[in-house]
Amino acid sequence: MVDFARVQKELQECNRDFEVSGIKVMPKSDANLAHLLGTIPGPLGTPYEGGSFKIDITLPDGYPFEPPKMQFATKVWHPNISSQSGAICLDILKDQWSPALTLKTALLSVQALLSAPEPDDPQDAVVAQQYLRDYPTFMGTARYWTEAFAMTSSLGVEDKVLKLVEMGFPEALVRSTLVSVDGDENMALEKLCSG
Amino acid sequence: MSKRVLCKFFAHGACLKGDHCEFSHDWKAPPNNICTFYQKGVCAYGGRCRYDHVKVARLQSPAPSSSVYSHQHHSVHADHLSESAAGSAENDDVRELSVNPADRPICSFAAAGNCPHGEKCPHIHGDLCPTCGKHCLHPFRPQEREEHVKTCEKMQRNLEALKHSQEIECCVCLERVLSKSAPAERKFGILSECDHPFCISCIRNWRSSSSASGMDVNSALRACPICRKLSYFVIPSVIWYCSKVEKQEIVDSYKAKLRSIDCKHFDFGNGTCPFGTSCFYKHAYRDGQLEEVVLRHLGAEDGNTVIAKNVRLSDFLKEYELLTGTKLLLPKIQQFFH
Repeated sequence: MVDFARVQKELQECNRDFEVSGIKVMPKSDANLAHLLGTIPGPLGTPYEGGSFKIDITLPDGYPFEPPKMQFATKVWHPNISSQSGAICLDILKDQWSPALTLKTALLSVQALLSAPEPDDPQDAVVAQQYLRDYPTFMGTARYWTEAFAMTSSLGVEDKVLKLVEMGFPEALVRSTLVSVDGDENMALEKLCSG
Repeated sequence: MSKRVLCKFFAHGACLKGDHCEFSHDWKAPPNNICTFYQKGVCAYGGRCRYDHVKVARLQSPAPSSSVYSHQHHSVHADHLSESAAGSAENDDVRELSVNPADRPICSFAAAGNCPHGEKCPHIHGDLCPTCGKHCLHPFRPQEREEHVKTCEKMQRNLEALKHSQEIECCVCLERVLSKSAPAERKFGILSECDHPFCISCIRNWRSSSSASGMDVNSALRACPICRKLSYFVIPSVIWYCSKVEKQEIVDSYKAKLRSIDCKHFDFGNGTCPFGTSCFYKHAYRDGQLEEVVLRHLGAEDGNTVIAKNVRLSDFLKEYELLTGTKLLLPKIQQFFH
C-alpha cells in the first residue's frame, strides 16, 4: 500500500519551494495519487537549457520502500534516457533507491543526470555512440530536440496551428486535435500521424 | 490552654484519659468545632463536613480533636505549641522531637510550595531542590538529600530528552515519531552506526523489504537510508538521545534485556541459532549453564585469519546443485553414502 500521507506531504513541500528548484509534481488526477506528473527545467549551460521536461511518475505499492517508476514523457536526446520510450537509467531509481529519498530529490537527481551524462553506462546506445564519436552533432541534436519537444509550451495556439498546417494537415482537424490533447503540440502531431 | 476546650471524647462519654486529659471535662467549656483537615488545607468532606470550615490562627485553636488520631496525639500537638508558647504538659515528647531533627518528617505542604503553618509547622521545612524547584531536601538527612538530587536530575534529563524527542521526525514517513497514529509505532529505531532518526516500523520495513527488487541486502537494505552507512542492528527506543553516552546507555540496556531472554533458535541446546555468537539472546542449557563457543580460526588464501562457520551437509549439496545444475533427490544422496 502506498503511503499516501507521505505523498501528500511530499507534494506540499515540493510545490512550496517551486520558486527555488523549478521542480513541480502534480497528481494526474485528483482521485489517484499513485500517478503523478513531474516537471523539471533543463539545467543551465546544457543543450537542455530553457526546456521544460515532463516526467511520468508511477508509485508502486511498496513506495517509499520501493523506488517510484519514472519515465520521460517529453522526448529527450540523452545517452542515459531512451529516445524512444523515455526510460531513465539512473541507479537511485533502481538498486540504489533509499526510502529517505523523495519525489523531489529523485527529480533533482534526474535533472543532475541531464547535466552529467554517463555515456559508458548507456540506456540509448545510438545516442551514447553519437555522444562518444561525434560530440558536436550530439550537442546539436540534443539542442534541436529540446527546442522541438520541450519548449513548445511557449508557442501560442495560433503558432502551433500554423506549424501543423504547414506540415500538411487540414486546419479544422489540427484545431480539434489540439483541443483534444490540451494544446500539446507533440501529442497532436502523433495523433494526426497515427489517425 | 486546652483545658478551656471541651473534650470531644468526653462529650461522647468515651474519653479514656479521664483526669489526665488535657482537654476540659467540664460541660460548660466551649466545644472546639473547627475542622482540622480544613486547617491543613483540604477537607475531603467539603461543604458536608460537620465541623466548621474556618481558618484560625494556630495559637488560638490549640486543640484539633476531630478524630481519634488527633486525640491520641494530643500531646504531640501540645508540644508544637510549647515550642513557641512554652507552657504545656508532657515534656518527654518535646525532647524526643527536638533532640534528633533527622527523625522528624519533612513537611509535604512546604515541599509543594505553601505551608499554611509557616514558621510554626510541626514538621521540618526542606531546602530548595534546584532541579525540581520544590522544598523537599531534608536538612538533616544527607543520604536522602543526595538520593533525591540524583533521581531528580535523572528525571529532569529524561523529561528533557522526551520533550526533545517529540520534535523528531522520521525521515521515511516524514511524521513526528512520537505523534504517529498507531501507538505501537511511536518508537524510534536507532541504527547502531549512525545517528539518523527513523520510526521503528519504517526502518524495519525497509530492512526487511525483499531484495527481489534488485536492491542488495548489504549495500542498500542494511544501510542507513540517509547516509548509507551499514548498520547490523536496530535498537527500539521510546526516547531519542542527545549524546553518544546516552545512545550507548540505550543500546546497553536493550542488549542487557535481550541477554536475559532465552533464544528460541538455540532452544536450550536442542536447536541451532543462525546468529551464533552474535546472537543477542541468551544461549543457556536447561541446567542454566551458558553455551561455550570455541571458534575455529582458519587461515584464508590471502593470509588473513577467518572464523570457520559451522559446516552442514546441505551446504555441500547446494554447491553440487549449482555445479551440476541438477537437483539432488534422496536416492542420489543415498548413493553418496554407499
